[in-house]
Amino acid sequence: MLGRGLKRKLSDYEENMAGLSSRQLVLNMCLTKLQTYKMLVEPNLHRSVLIANTVQQESNCCDLRSAEDQIENSLLIVSDDDMSSAISSILKDLDFVEDISPPTCLVPTGDDQPKFPENAGLKLEDDRQDLKGAECVFGSFEISNSTSYLKDLAIDDIFEDIDTSMYDSDFCCPPLMPPRPPPLATEEPLKTFPSCNSSSANNIQICRTDLSELDHIMEILVGS
Amino acid sequence: MAPSPLPSPRGRWVPQTDHAFDPPPSLPVGGPPGDNSTVDWCLYQLNGAAEFEVSEADIISTVEFNHTGELLATGDKGGRVVIFQREPESKNEPYNQGEYNVYSTFQSHEPEFDYLKSLEIEEKINKIKWLPQQNAAHSLLSTNDKTIKLWKITERDKRPEGYNLKDEEGKLKDLSTVTSLQVPVLKPMDLMVEVTPRRIFANGHTYHVNSISVNSDCETYMSADDLRINLWHLAITDRSFNIVDIKPANMEDLTEVITASEFHPHHCNLFVYSSSKGSLRLCDMRASALCDKHSKLYEEPEDPSNRSFFSEIISSVSDVKFSHSGRYMLTRDYLTVKVWDLNMETKPVETYQVHDYLRSKLCSLYENDCIFDKFECAWNGSDSVIMTGAYNNFFRMFDRNTKRDVTLEASRESSKPRAILKPRRVCVGGKRRKDDISVDSLDFTKKILHTAWHPTENIIAIAATNNLYIFQDKVNSEMH
Repeated sequence: MLGRGLKRKLSDYEENMAGLSSRQLVLNMCLTKLQTYKMLVEPNLHRSVLIANTVQQESNCCDLRSAEDQIENSLLIVSDDDMSSAISSILKDLDFVEDISPPTCLVPTGDDQPKFPENAGLKLEDDRQDLKGAECVFGSFEISNSTSYLKDLAIDDIFEDIDTSMYDSDFCCPPLMPPRPPPLATEEPLKTFPSCNSSSANNIQICRTDLSELDHIMEILVGS
Repeated sequence: MAPSPLPSPRGRWVPQTDHAFDPPPSLPVGGPPGDNSTVDWCLYQLNGAAEFEVSEADIISTVEFNHTGELLATGDKGGRVVIFQREPESKNEPYNQGEYNVYSTFQSHEPEFDYLKSLEIEEKINKIKWLPQQNAAHSLLSTNDKTIKLWKITERDKRPEGYNLKDEEGKLKDLSTVTSLQVPVLKPMDLMVEVTPRRIFANGHTYHVNSISVNSDCETYMSADDLRINLWHLAITDRSFNIVDIKPANMEDLTEVITASEFHPHHCNLFVYSSSKGSLRLCDMRASALCDKHSKLYEEPEDPSNRSFFSEIISSVSDVKFSHSGRYMLTRDYLTVKVWDLNMETKPVETYQVHDYLRSKLCSLYENDCIFDKFECAWNGSDSVIMTGAYNNFFRMFDRNTKRDVTLEASRESSKPRAILKPRRVCVGGKRRKDDISVDSLDFTKKILHTAWHPTENIIAIAATNNLYIFQDKVNSEMH
């Protein structure tokens, strides 16, 4: 994703210009990666930390620049602050995801992989998850077409009394959404829903704020 | 009798060994054994399906020799472990000497699903570590992202026959037919290799386990994830002791993760762990229960002339290995391998460039995520040569004494059995020799992340995607 309107001329050796465009390019990539990782069900902690540190260092370097450059870079400065707060919230979310519960011993049952249709457009590890879903050891449970399975369930009837309006967002945050409804046969998991809803409410709020900030940053960087 | 391989649960993995029975070509041989500067490597064996048949589950994710080098274990993305055993030497078949044949195959880990977190846990084997052999059985630890398992490998080559109460099929005999008493005798049978899970160490880690290391006391081992290191007793599965915890109170303050760790080979109280910031911390378990405070911190100050956006990312240490002597540590970061002296914390004693020509390509390597690839490194038995993998199926060896290095390739096309491997060269513009490869033609999907060196001999195991290459020193293979 290149900054629009910034052409790099081979003859142009002016360090500032060249530095600015490549810096924007890298920062754009950092932002995209962080966003992508956040979308993943289980973000890669190592990579997220490395990218966050890289962006942090760049924003520190930026602060040391001279006054003339300030005007040129003013847009970037604004976005760096926004970016650091976005990164902080991403790391906070990682904490939430990872330590939400003590690690449990796992028993494969007949459940399916969670599907997030809103993310279909993004290049994620969806393919990998699909592959895994197919190969998961789920005993004799036959899943011919998971999406049709979803439609067959009368989901709305079961959760009529739970207010799900908060979760209807364009950009969903998989780790913060309540677990997908299980097959009708089991009732136990339903008990966990109320607690899940209350604790995740705040985080969804934060998530939505960051996302609008990220959108704002994207707009600035792309220059539209 | 050669053991027959157990059927693979997926039925897809087919071991193929390529070896020629022709006498080796009479080429000038390297120097006397022990003189590593003139080692000539040749392909000894190649195991694995041809490239167009690769399925992701077959991708090898770890390789490890046991302490004697008799056994070689590989783990793959599908959660399987394959163990190879070296054929004992015999005068009858001079060219089959020292061949590694499949000894056992078993499914170590299965994919799991954590319902509370809506997370899938990969069955990929991250690491295998052998326990020192204490009796007739062999034991190894294998781990995926969350669970470590202890496996016991035993051989059965005898079977008792002549029971008094049971007949040959195991059915109870009619007592009226039993007229005399006999002592059951052990009769030889076809060798059967049995693998049983002896311990399952679960629920110890919230984050992804990246390394395991068996202590020299042979009673304990440690497992490390991104933020914590746990100490386990091999016989106790319901408890582990947390010895390092770098998780900050506020996750927003997180700037560093643990990338690898290992126990000292001789001192059971010492261990080292590496970080994403390029530092090493040596810890002494005698100093305190929680080893958050290191005893020594090994860190090289950054070279300002090499500073770039990606300085921090490429400084992240992907692997750390103690030398056999215990005096040095070897680390691998994205572009270099470094040898550290335990007595010197300020900088490494030796630095070797693995593929410095990638320095100008870091931006595109960041874009395609290759910059996050985790390469491993290895010492040879005498700690005089170090080895690490690179891209394009290249791997590099550095001789610490002569300061010479070589680039070799692990590929079907360029490796005829028993022929000596030709050194490869990457050219960066300027003069280009025949057979050189230019940086832009390198295949970044062909990466050699996992390599292992036999503990005493010049035999190396190289994992290239789904293929396992075993190279031997020409002299070594001729002597057999």
